Formats: sequence, structure tokens, C-alpha cells
Amino acid sequence: MTNPIIENIRHSLGRTVQSPLGLRPDIYEPRLPESIDSEIARFLDEVKKLSGVGQKLSPADIDSTLKTLVAEQNIRKATVWGTPHLRQLGITKILNSLGVEIVSPNASKHEMALCDLGITEADYLLPETGTLVLKSSFEKPRAVSLLPRIHLAVVRPEMLRADMHQVFAEAKDSNYLVFITGPSRTADIELTVTLGVHGPKNLYVWMMKE
Amino acid sequence: MPKAQLFITCLGDQFYTSTLQNMTHLLERLGVELTFPPEQTCCGQPLFNNGFEDKTRPVALNFLQTFGESDAPIIAPSGSCAGMIKHHYPSLFKDGTPEHALAVDIASRTFEFTEYLVNVLKVTDVGAVYPHKVTYHASCHYLREMGLKTEAKTLLSNVKGLEFISLNEEETCCGFGGAFTVTYPEVSRSMMENKVKHIISSGADTVVTCEPGCLMNVAGGLHKAGSSIRAMHIVDLLSSKEELA
Amino acid sequence: MSQDTHPYIGFEEYSEHVPPSIPLAVQQATSRFVGGRAARVAELPQWEQLRQIGSDIRQHTIENMDVYLTSLEEKVKEAGGYVHWAETAEDARRIVLQIAKENNIKNVVKSKSMATEEIELNHALEAAGIESLETDLGEYIIQLAGTGPSHIIVPAVHLKKEEIAALFSEKLDINAPTDPIELARIAREVLREKFLNAGMGISGGNFLIAETGTLVMVTNEGNGRMCTTMPDLHIAVVGIDKVIPDWESLIVFLKLLARSATGQKLSTYTQFITGPRHAEGEFGPKEFHLVLLDNGRSKILKDPIGRDVLKCIRCGACANVCPVYKNVGGFAYGSFISGPIGAILSPQMLGTQAARELPFASTLCGACADVCPVKIPIPAILSHLRRRVAQGDAFALPTISTPIRATANLASLALAQNWIYRLGALVLPIINPFFRKNNWLSGMPYPLNRWTKVRPLPPFGARFRKWWNVRSAKETESTHD
Repeated sequence: MTNPIIENIRHSLGRTVQSPLGLRPDIYEPRLPESIDSEIARFLDEVKKLSGVGQKLSPADIDSTLKTLVAEQNIRKATVWGTPHLRQLGITKILNSLGVEIVSPNASKHEMALCDLGITEADYLLPETGTLVLKSSFEKPRAVSLLPRIHLAVVRPEMLRADMHQVFAEAKDSNYLVFITGPSRTADIELTVTLGVHGPKNLYVWMMKE
Repeated sequence: MPKAQLFITCLGDQFYTSTLQNMTHLLERLGVELTFPPEQTCCGQPLFNNGFEDKTRPVALNFLQTFGESDAPIIAPSGSCAGMIKHHYPSLFKDGTPEHALAVDIASRTFEFTEYLVNVLKVTDVGAVYPHKVTYHASCHYLREMGLKTEAKTLLSNVKGLEFISLNEEETCCGFGGAFTVTYPEVSRSMMENKVKHIISSGADTVVTCEPGCLMNVAGGLHKAGSSIRAMHIVDLLSSKEELA
Repeated sequence: MSQDTHPYIGFEEYSEHVPPSIPLAVQQATSRFVGGRAARVAELPQWEQLRQIGSDIRQHTIENMDVYLTSLEEKVKEAGGYVHWAETAEDARRIVLQIAKENNIKNVVKSKSMATEEIELNHALEAAGIESLETDLGEYIIQLAGTGPSHIIVPAVHLKKEEIAALFSEKLDINAPTDPIELARIAREVLREKFLNAGMGISGGNFLIAETGTLVMVTNEGNGRMCTTMPDLHIAVVGIDKVIPDWESLIVFLKLLARSATGQKLSTYTQFITGPRHAEGEFGPKEFHLVLLDNGRSKILKDPIGRDVLKCIRCGACANVCPVYKNVGGFAYGSFISGPIGAILSPQMLGTQAARELPFASTLCGACADVCPVKIPIPAILSHLRRRVAQGDAFALPTISTPIRATANLASLALAQNWIYRLGALVLPIINPFFRKNNWLSGMPYPLNRWTKVRPLPPFGARFRKWWNVRSAKETESTHD
């Protein structure tokens, strides 16, 4: 049972159901990664160019850096991905001790919308464009990187991939993937660049040192 | 002695007799033996560019018959005319017909003026003297259809006393576009005024181009704007032997 | 919008009265994007190679569109999504309304989609009593203003911030400041409520990956994510020409798209959506519907020259370099898509009666072809469509006006016959004295007034032939001496 649009297409192209699929043209060779330090530096540099705030951090620094962020940005409510690594770093505990109210990442969208800060990891990182690649699941809800006005991504060097080839080869069967390249922006009003239109206004990226 | 046939183009014929005379003298001075087949009229662009392919055919046939009698190359002081002949004439005629074969042959030996000088005669210095500030407008078909990106500038670089000033938006269309000027006169006006504005702000006292159509448009626009900037065809500039100060 | 009913697009009439603020605003936008694009292209030594690959893949996909669309449908269904086929704009509207009705939808949030503008979806939803709010800032603004887009990427660029502040003040019953950052903040607050409470989100799509049934959305503001994450229902309306073979192909297009459009390396957000969400707590729609829109595309496929228009990835680079577009803005093209790509799409989609002026709204300068990331030969297609209008072809009868056809007949006759041409050349200089002023001709009668009202004409003076003949005679004489 075929539909009229497919029939029209076949008719226009002079094809039939049996017509074979032509060979798809070749793609060029994928990029090879440079040294890990070079890739990290490039990634953080790109994040900076996008008006994001990126820095290298060791687990011991998390406490004080988070304290500074909470104070500077007036964080009252936060929500955090329920992933093992973030639990291991004790993010939620630290936030609690700073008096920040923790909202479950699986809470309703209305509750999530009241959060100031959303903390996620990243499944992959692309150094050439400073891109965070996030999957989606019960532990990694989509709203955490979208609804709060500040998005903090706590990432690790092992997430780096040379370019999109590797990411797609590994992740193409995910039911959802999002590339985040800098904070939300627009230039719709007189070409004045404005950050934080609908998505987060501030993007922080903490690259954990090994 | 190389031989060549002159195609003077319909706009050249109507409006730029002295340019054509200069072209004749310049080529002869470079040792080219010229003929001028009198049956020539127009390359047919105005009809072809407006979708009248069928009506272009008789005009193209006249051209082919006129210039087909000799096997010498054809030189035109216009990139758009040369482009019409080189890139569109063959497609006007059915494959396998004698007209098509003739069109392919003629297309292979038709040249724009600067193209002929630089790429065929291998001449880049014609001994011209023009001690002025000169800016250059790159005509669209000359630049993109004919792919002539360096020829004009190479010739200009060897003109004694010439100070070359780069034109802002050098490659932006001046708004001539053939029938476009009379089909959408107001849009043509805006484009022409934009080009004139850049020419005036360049600080040059001369603007040079390789296309009679662009020249008509820009020269008229400069005059209307009250500017004393001289608009010239490259043929005229290359024929100049002004005294150096 | 279909071939029979589309109103006549009067490009010339509009171009005679362009408000000067439009080209001014448009040129500010285009020069920024052109500068950005140039910088990004300079960074990629393999740019030309990418363009060729992009062109080849799009060509291949169009030529095998039936296979890829079949695979796409299969995969979307496998992922738990619904697939609907809309032959016409009317079909697409009906499908969307049906889904809305079945789910009791009263409020819709929309992310920017050319396909939904093509089918005029908002009007249909509003007529059915459903609020359909544009959430892309520029689209939101023009929806409030009730106008069309002046540029494909920044549709409200022709409006000054004072005008937008006045618009917000009036429509939202507030006292809006004129600062763009404040205005964006107001829009964020207003639309946030809508995102959180809407029952349905409608989006378009930049690409459809046949390999896995994945919808790809390229956005900057976050509203695209909001519309497709917050409501329980997501409908994507996407043209059938957006299908691409696989993820590997997508890499090439993602490298080409943002760079060509705005000069960004990548847009802020790129989403890859394969069916509805898996778990409630992860957010995302419970139901995902893909509406595949034909609306004339399968018919365009028949034309081996014209169908290259279906390679388009909607970047707007052609408009950014087009000197005609930059002097008239988007409204002149009379449809949802403007600039050079609009000039070759509308005549094919809407017909050469309604859109007969568009193929001629160009000087064939070729700047667009130089920048098109998928190497669409726009000038060649413009010429092809001019032939369709002027003399007709296998796809349509000629629609050119009688006076123009008569002029062409006359010109053909005069230019093909040397004696008529030379007679004309002899006669024309006679009129010079009547219009001559300072070595120029001005104030000429119709039709030459269309030239002289803009700038003067040089005087007619075809003297070369005579000069050549005299010279040849002298030479012959001297050789005989």
C-alpha cells in the first residue's frame, strides 16, 4: 500500500518501486584529535568566544567555586541531573549547605521553571565549536539545561570527541540529542545581540581535571 | 601576424564609436591584422536574457554566418557579449546540426578584449600612460560568467602613472542587467546610486570598466549626481598617452 | 497557497514604492551576515569541497527521494511517532486541526517554520478558535504587528526598537522600554507562561534523517526546544525535500548551514528528535507527529533543471548577497520566501501566472550562485523560468504580456536583419537634438523614459562603419599608388 505522494515522486523521477537506490556520494575524512590538553584548551576557548564561562577545576575546588557562583548569581533554587558522577562530586550536598533549595530534576515543568540554576553533565564535547552534547533520559532530563536561567555543565575530558563523526557514530540511535553551543541568543531587534531569550542566559562549563 | 575579427557590439556601435576606434588602433599597434565583417548586428543577449530563446536564434544565426566565413578569432569589448556567444550559442542549436557545429566552433574562438590581450597575445603592458587615481568596477558577466578575475587589473597595473584605488563593493552589480533597467527602473536606480556612491567615496577621479552597458549606466549616474569623475572603458584608458606631470 | 488561488505578485509595483527604511535595515542585517560568513569560510580550507559534497548529496537525495521518504516513515513509526502525508496545503492544515481537535487543544506554541508559513497554518488555527503563538522573537514581533517577514533569518529587522516598544505596549498593555535587551526580557516572560501551559507545540524542521527517522532542528533562542519539550504533543510540519540519507550526510550540512546563514560555526541549539519521549520524568512530548508536506514539490521534481531548487537548505546566504533583494527587502517577493531562492521557488510552486515577474527580478549577476552552500545554479534556473514565462515550455504556457511579446518580435526582426539594424542606426541620431543637454540625452519619451528618468542616455552616434569603410578605401587607394 503506497501513498499518492510517493507515487507522484516516482512518476516525476521516472522511477518504480524496483528502481535501485543510487550510491550516496562520499564524505571527506573526519578530523583527527590533537593532544588532550590542546583539545581541552580549544574547547574552553570556543566556550569563551560564545560568552560562556569555562574553566578547569579539580574536585576539591567544587565547594568554593559553587559557593562563589551561588553568591554571584543569587541562586535560590537549583536542579541537578541524577547521574552517578554528579552524585559522587557531592553537588547536591554542597548546594544544600549553601542554603539552596533543591528541586528534583523530574519535578513538574512549573516547578523547574522557578529554578535559577540547572546542573548537568555532557555526554560528548566538541572542541572545534565549544559544543556540549546532551542525551535525554529519566536521570538526564531535558528541562534541566533549558528552563533555569543559568546552566552549569560539569564535564570531563573523556567526553571529548574530535568532531561530529564520532558523536554521531556513537549516539545516532538515541531517541533525543541536543547540541548546546553557548547561551541562548537572538539578534532579532535591530541586530542587537541579546543573550538568554528563552533558553539559559548564562552558560558555565567546568572541565574536571583528571 | 595574428588575425582577428572585430565584433563591435550593438551598444558599442550606437554609443561608443571612439572606443571602437581606439580598440582598432590598439590591436593593430600590437600587430593584429583586423577585419570588420559588416553584416554583424547584435549578439542577441537582450532577447535571450528575457526568455525569448526562440527569437534569439535568428539573431545568433546572423552572427554565426557573419563571423563563420573567416576562421579568425573574434574579439568583443564586452564580457557579456563574449559570454553569450561562448556559453549560450551552442545550446541554442540542436546537437548534430551544422548550426550547432558552427556555434561550437565560433564559441571556441570568441574572446573578450582584455582576455585576448592577456591570455592570447600574452601582452600585459600596452605602453599606456594615465597619471590619475583610478578605481575599477568588476562587471558581473565579465567576472563570473567569463571568469576574468585578474586580466583587467593586470593591464591597469602596467599603466604608467596610474594610482589604483580599490573600489568598495567592487564586485557588486551596478544595476544595468540589460533590460532590467527598463523592467525595474527603480531597483536599477537604487543599485546604480549605490555603485556611484562608492565610486565617489573612493577618492578616485576615474572609474574604469570593461563593459559598455555598465559604462552607460555608471557614467550617466555620475553625471546626474553632479560628479566630475570620469567613467571610461578600459580600451580608452589603455589607449591613453597623456603626458606625465 | 496553491497554484490556482495565489494572488498576483506585483514585484514591480512594490519596487516602485519601497519605504527607504526597509533597504536600510535589510542592508545592515545582510552586511553583518556576509561579514560573518566570510570569516567562517576563511577558517575552513575545505569549504569548496564541502559545498561540492553538499551539492552532490542533495542531488542524490532528490533523485532517490521516494526511497528515502519510505525509509523515513518506517523509522519514525518504529520510534513510536505518527507520520501524516499532506499532498496540499489544505491537507496539512486539516491534519493539524484534526490532531488539535482530537486532543482538545486550545493553546499552541510555535517555533519558526517556513513550511507552516507556506501553508498559512496560523490563520487556520485561529479560525478554529485555537491560539497559535509564534515564539521566535522576530516571528513573535511580526505576528503582533500583523506583517510579513522582511528577511528570512531576522524577519523583524525592518522595525526600529521604538516601533517594537510601541507594539509591545499596545498589545501587551504595558509600558515597554525601548532597550532591545529589555524588550527581549519582556518577550521571555510572556512566552514562558505560554510554553509551560500550551497543550501542543508546532515546529518545522531543518532536516529529516531517513536512516533513523530523526527530525533535526537548528535554532538559537531556545524557543525551538521549549515548543518541542514542554507540551505533551509535538507536531512537526516539514517539506518532503528536507529528507537526507543519513547522519554522516548531516555533518556536511551542519558545517555549511550556520556559517552560510549568519556566520556562526553552529547555531546555539541543534536538536535531534526521534519519536516521542521514553520516560515521563525526562520531559518531552508523549506524542510526536510528523506531517510531510508536498504542496507542489513532487511536481517540481519532474523538471530536471527547476528541481535543483529543492536542494535548498534555507540558509538565506543568497539573499544576503543579492543586490536586488538588498534594495527592496522581503515583502516585494510576495510570499513566505524571498530573495533569489524565492524568485525561483515561487514561480514553480505558485505558477508562472501569479509569479511571472519574479524570474525577471534579477540582473543575473551571479553573486547568489557563488555563495549557495549546496551550489544551486540560481541564475541558470532564473533563465530557465524566464523562458517558461516568455515562450512557454513542457510545464506551462507562456504568460508574458502581449506588448512585451510584440517588442521581442520586433527586436528579433531588427537584430537578425543587418539592413534593418543599420537603417535603425542611421535614423536614431536624428532624435538627438530634441533631447540633448550637455552631451547627454534626457527627458525622452516612452519607452526610453524608463531609462532617462533614472539617468541620462549617451547620444546616438553609430559612426564606426563609415569610419572603417573610409579607412579601408584610403588603404586600398594607397596600396594602389
